[in-house]
Amino acid sequence: MTEEASPPSVSHAPMSSVIARLERELRDLWKVEPGEPTRSRACTMNLVVVTTSPAITEHYLPIVDEVTQSIPSRAIVVTMTPNDPESSLDGEAQAICGVDNLTCSERVTLRARGAACARVESAVESLMVPELGTTLVWLGRIHVDDPVFRELAEYAQRVILDTEYTSLTSLLLLSRWARDRRSKIGIADLAWTRIAVWQEMCARFFDDPQMTPLAQKVEVLRIVQMSDPGAKLGAEGGLLLGWLATRLGWRIEALGGEIRFRRGDGKAVKVELASVKRPPSVAPLALASVTLRASDGALTATGTVTRDFDGDVADVLRYRLDVNLPASGEQTVRLGANKGARVLERTLHRPAHDEALAEAVAFADKLDDDGAVVT
Amino acid sequence: MNDIANPLRQGLQGDRTGDACAVVIFGASGDLTRRKLMPALYNLSVSRVLPGSFAVVGVARRKKEDAAFAAEMKEGVAKHSRRKVDPALWDDFERSISYVCGDFNVQKTYDDLRAHLQKLDGERGTRENRLFYLAVPPSEFGPILQGLREAKLVSGASQPWTRVVIEKPFGHDLASAQALNDTVAAVFRESQVFRIDHYLGKETVQNLLVFRFANSMFEPLWSREHVDHVQITVAEEIGVEGRGKFYEQTGVTKDIVENHLMQLLCLTAMEPPISLSADAVRDEKVKVLRSLRQMERRVVGECVVRGQYGRGFVRADEVPGYREEPDVAKDSTVETYVALKVNVDNWRWGGVPFYVRAGKRMARRVTEIAVQFKSVPHPLFQSPDGGITPNVLALRIQPDEGIAVRFTSKEPGQHTILRDVAMDFRYGAAFGSNTPEAYERLLLDAMRGEATLFTRRDEVEEQWAFMDHVFDAWRAAGNVPPPTYSAGSWGPDAADDLLARDGRRWRKP
Repeated sequence: MTEEASPPSVSHAPMSSVIARLERELRDLWKVEPGEPTRSRACTMNLVVVTTSPAITEHYLPIVDEVTQSIPSRAIVVTMTPNDPESSLDGEAQAICGVDNLTCSERVTLRARGAACARVESAVESLMVPELGTTLVWLGRIHVDDPVFRELAEYAQRVILDTEYTSLTSLLLLSRWARDRRSKIGIADLAWTRIAVWQEMCARFFDDPQMTPLAQKVEVLRIVQMSDPGAKLGAEGGLLLGWLATRLGWRIEALGGEIRFRRGDGKAVKVELASVKRPPSVAPLALASVTLRASDGALTATGTVTRDFDGDVADVLRYRLDVNLPASGEQTVRLGANKGARVLERTLHRPAHDEALAEAVAFADKLDDDGAVVT
Repeated sequence: MNDIANPLRQGLQGDRTGDACAVVIFGASGDLTRRKLMPALYNLSVSRVLPGSFAVVGVARRKKEDAAFAAEMKEGVAKHSRRKVDPALWDDFERSISYVCGDFNVQKTYDDLRAHLQKLDGERGTRENRLFYLAVPPSEFGPILQGLREAKLVSGASQPWTRVVIEKPFGHDLASAQALNDTVAAVFRESQVFRIDHYLGKETVQNLLVFRFANSMFEPLWSREHVDHVQITVAEEIGVEGRGKFYEQTGVTKDIVENHLMQLLCLTAMEPPISLSADAVRDEKVKVLRSLRQMERRVVGECVVRGQYGRGFVRADEVPGYREEPDVAKDSTVETYVALKVNVDNWRWGGVPFYVRAGKRMARRVTEIAVQFKSVPHPLFQSPDGGITPNVLALRIQPDEGIAVRFTSKEPGQHTILRDVAMDFRYGAAFGSNTPEAYERLLLDAMRGEATLFTRRDEVEEQWAFMDHVFDAWRAAGNVPPPTYSAGSWGPDAADDLLARDGRRWRKP
């Protein structure tokens, strides 16, 4: 058991006045003046988003607004800066309406500074819509013994994090914590959803019946991420490696300070982790390419998925399979605009429990311990 | 499918994408392709749920190049798609479009098509999977299916697979439906046949299953114990809209009641299926159809009302009567309105009539299912309008898709005055209005081989078997002209009498 820390004292005006004002603002959003068109409030869930920096909040607000157009919600976006010397809580409520301006979600933005961060759970609880489910999106480092996180997670049916902002180890710890609770919480990772299109394309290498046996004959896996050489393998790369290894039945072993991968038949798999320069518009440690080479002696195939660039924005994946079969070929998949919103929406639509994610994380965590770096 | 053998497919929670395949549309020059099919495929492409290895091939008689066909389709998509055309995404999609010109009655057309599809297998990785969409009149089904078979373009139900999608009408009576099904069955197994009733692709119709079987509070009320009767309405404001020739051969009963309306009735009355698999759901629907009390000739006169619209006003515009429409006989006996009292003779619904009606040039465009509950057993309160009105649960299919519950409430004040209030859930208000079109869902399901939302052979034949009694009675009565109702009304007076005889009245939704 971890002892809960008692909340630090807050010296200035009662924060309940902030909550009362926000509740008033929420009510006022739906007042209709004579002659004004009526707007409908739509709400199917509470979407609580917590960030630990104003920059992440600024980046994420348009994403939240877009998602709540397709999944109507009361979004409560909280920015916590616990190291701020000032202790304060403020915020505002807005209606976020669709293009027709008739159907709207509600968005409350809260800013908690310094010691007031300890009051975030209480503030959020009083602003949530009762009777509806809650999803907690935590965008920052995560510690399962953090009282704010734990208390907010108590309300949630699902916790979504982004290992881009934390670590695979914390995802693993979070999964264990969630599993041990009496009432189940689903754990999801936005990085896992982001690599879904990579997983789909890697799976496609082996869809052709003549290619399928080669899935057990992979000799080389090369993962390239967008970073400087010497950087740690990022969440996307780690998850993809963990997923491929667990699906293909590889095991990991250490020998003489080196990590080795072995297939089910005992043969070694050469895993290369490399880097390319990151364009400024792309998130750090994002995947750049993955290559699988497999051979059964008679047939050799090389499949590559590469993230390509359209101007300054990386938004195209190119699939290529080189093999002496009709399955050989090339394709392009455009990732489309506002990928962040699409990723969050898809994560919300996925089943709450994903065994493949749990297995991939457990595998990747072994690499994380070892500090896998790219060349 | 090879998914089980491919270890990377196990547990992969990908998007709901279709299998790699080529969609071949026969009748590619037609309205359906431009208005519905291509916009649906484009939207699936934008949603990234089309398979990566995909091609769409138009087949029609008119000679044209791939580029000209693609340009026509782009124009259609720009006009009819729920999303604007994004130039970059269209460029990607356009690469999948091609065209084969040929007469459906000439074998060379199918030989050319086979060569073209083989080329696409190599170029676009469509893996010999074919979805043939027959957007043509049923009279063309025979030659097309035979041509496909002769050209060896028909494989099995699993990899590589071939499926065929056919559009209604599935015959014009039981005998013709059976003949049509036999024609299809001579080439395809039932598991390869996807009969489209686009009503089943509508979100609200799919939600009917969710509403009934995912909410425990409604199902206990869903029986003769609590339900007084059910009304199903498919009303249109429009007339025959230039389709007089077609309508003269069909009438509203064959156009709407025999298929869409019967499907709505099945989904309302069916028992919970053991799963959502295609056959589990369709088995339950067939049981409902088999429970319908067949109408003897003498009963048809009591339980079925026909009507034909005359001149009138719709939305304040004067509109012509049916017999004044182009391509309609001046002495036409075709019905543009029909109302039926249907009895579902099973344990759940014994004694609960289902009143169904469909009509053109009605007062309002509305499709809804209204479940009217029984009155309270003992009236404690007096309503100012004279009695307590029974509760109604209305499931609106279109427009303003949603669910409304009417119940009685006390008006605030010193006196106990009762008022009807409606608790209203509207899809558009809750989820926004950009929901996928029915054809998107249905085409994707066909590409995935999921047949739950398609009609099975026995369903079609049971529907016709029930309706044939009505047509038989009408024929026996000498096809007398149906009574006229004013355009913009809720149908002929006789329809009101149909319910009045049972002490009930139609809703005016």
